[in-house]
Amino acid sequence: MTWLFSQAVVSGLLLGGVYGLVASGLSLIFGVLRIINFAHGAVMMLGMYTSYWLFVLLGLDPYLSILVTGPLFFGIGVLIQRIVIEPNRAAAEHNQLLLTLGLALFFENLALVLWQGDFRTVRVAYSGASFMVSDVLVEVPRLIAAGGAVLIALALWAFLRMTDAGKAIRALSEEAEGAMLVGIDVSRIRGVAFGIGSACVAVAGALVTPFFYVAPDVGESFNIMAFVVVVLGGMGNFLGALLGGFIVGLAESLGAAFLPGSLKQLVVFGLFVIVLLLRPEGLFGARRGR
Amino acid sequence: MSTNSRALPVPSIGRRRFLTTLGAAGAATLAAPAFVRAQAREVKVGYILPVTGPLAFEAQLALNGLQQAVDEINGAGGIKSLGGARVTLLPGDTQNKVELGNSEAARLIDQGVTALIGPFSSLVAFSVRQVAEKNKTPFLLLATVADNVLEGGLRYVFRMQPNARAMATLTVGNMIEMAKGAGTPIKRVAMMHEDGNFGTTMGNHVDAFAGKMGYEVVQRVPYNLRSPDFTAELSKVKAARPDLLVISGYYGDSKIIAETAAKLRIGVHALVGLANAAYSNPRFIAENRELTDQLFDGNYWHNPQSPRARAVFEAYQKRFNSVMSNHGVQGYQVMFVLKDALERAASTDREKVRDAISKINLTDHILTQDAIRFDAAGENVNATPALLQVQGGKPVVVGPARFVEAKPVFPVPKWKG
Repeated sequence: MTWLFSQAVVSGLLLGGVYGLVASGLSLIFGVLRIINFAHGAVMMLGMYTSYWLFVLLGLDPYLSILVTGPLFFGIGVLIQRIVIEPNRAAAEHNQLLLTLGLALFFENLALVLWQGDFRTVRVAYSGASFMVSDVLVEVPRLIAAGGAVLIALALWAFLRMTDAGKAIRALSEEAEGAMLVGIDVSRIRGVAFGIGSACVAVAGALVTPFFYVAPDVGESFNIMAFVVVVLGGMGNFLGALLGGFIVGLAESLGAAFLPGSLKQLVVFGLFVIVLLLRPEGLFGARRGR
Repeated sequence: MSTNSRALPVPSIGRRRFLTTLGAAGAATLAAPAFVRAQAREVKVGYILPVTGPLAFEAQLALNGLQQAVDEINGAGGIKSLGGARVTLLPGDTQNKVELGNSEAARLIDQGVTALIGPFSSLVAFSVRQVAEKNKTPFLLLATVADNVLEGGLRYVFRMQPNARAMATLTVGNMIEMAKGAGTPIKRVAMMHEDGNFGTTMGNHVDAFAGKMGYEVVQRVPYNLRSPDFTAELSKVKAARPDLLVISGYYGDSKIIAETAAKLRIGVHALVGLANAAYSNPRFIAENRELTDQLFDGNYWHNPQSPRARAVFEAYQKRFNSVMSNHGVQGYQVMFVLKDALERAASTDREKVRDAISKINLTDHILTQDAIRFDAAGENVNATPALLQVQGGKPVVVGPARFVEAKPVFPVPKWKG
């Protein structure tokens, strides 16, 4: 039993890191743009396909492909924000919500048309690599994905703390009118935030390709979990999202190990509802002065 | 408005068909009886398959089988009792959606198909079967496994492949027989299945069959198809120390489960797929050579003991440059079920063809089963899945005993803890 517990904790933490990075991007976009981006998972899927094709066509290692997917999807994110989101800023909130949902469906179906529904896998030498810590299995690609996700999330956190652009993003996230009054180009910053959020999730996609598969609807696996994580961590709370990722990963994994049937999903979504009811600002959400 | 635009093409097709019939009839009365036989120069058969969308790859495999059979039939002189009428396949794409299944079936029936073949998903089948019944059109199911899809006193719907119950019980039964023969009996069974309708049905049958076959289900784990990690689930399975792990799932989940099981040193005698979408799939095997070696799978397959089946298998391989998998076998054989019925009906009349299908007793087939015969409900009474094991990069039949082409590797060393 203790073995099962340790194994579940380890695999939960490894999964949680990836959830954390996906959710960080979602949280950032929400914080700055105040929209719930349903297309987040679809962007992840596009990031995964990018890594896949870079690997298949150019033999580029999925981890190295981050150097391409990161900037590329930053640009794509900025464009999405410019072309699709920004013109609808004045529209009612539910319209913006539907807009991102439409975008998600558009991307998924685009992928279906371009690459069919086939499951594709990237097989690299280290895909099957794993080691044992006493008798607990640690899969190397999952470890790298989790570690990489945490590093990137922390780097972004530092960026938000220390650079002018980062401070502008935070200012906008905390007090939009104030940010505008002190002369921040809010429209540009919104684009930057959407770009960073998209880059985050695309990079997360690249990190999981060595042990996962690529298919047009693959983003959905992570998208729903990212919503749960963001709610746990507090909407717009960047570090909260990372911590929330670990909590959801652990809850899922321990639920799978010790509860019968598909109850693990129930645990995760139960947590989601309870937090929304009792602590809507999130577990780590400092109440925002608004 | 929509009724108008939909109603429009129907009379025009009707009129055209009416005129052709009139012309043929006129010719027939004028000339010799030979013309009467020449009347049906073509037999239209409609397929409704998810050729685009999430099941596109699998549907294409089935379509390959259908096409191969049609070309073989036409190449050998068509339907002889119909004066050498050629079989023409008319396409229908469901995208795996219920509403498209219905409209495509209705359209094909309008275009005068003698029979329909399809549609993969049981959900789509539940709906399309009503369209077929209402229009009195024979409907041969392809890759549809839900047990109850033939319930309700249907007259026109037939299923050649095993239903879920036959699939589950015969696969586990074959596995247990095989293990006994190999001298390592299976007593403790663990079951992992996706938690949708398909997997749950399979899980229920494996559970229900335990008493009869004398095994114990020590762990049953339904799981969410989209879950990115199954380490915890498999750890739970490992802790229950099963002899056999049965997996009913789709492609991506089955892949991750097999990989994780290997890394966890799951400690079972064997891993067996149950109507699994991946484990005997040629693409999956090609992409995961090491992982798939010695995996078992209970699935539809050709009979390696039959010279005809082997020739068909090789012809497929040559033409499509891939292994003829379960869906290809089904597509091929279901077309020959229809061919046999057409020959005996000597007519393209849907009612006569339906009667001929219901009376079929086909021994010249490529399946791992006895004669193809349908019961009153439309189930193939002898439908049997083969027990396959991947050996040297391709699935070979290792059960039931009379169809075996290679000795099974059992227990599988690499799954040992």
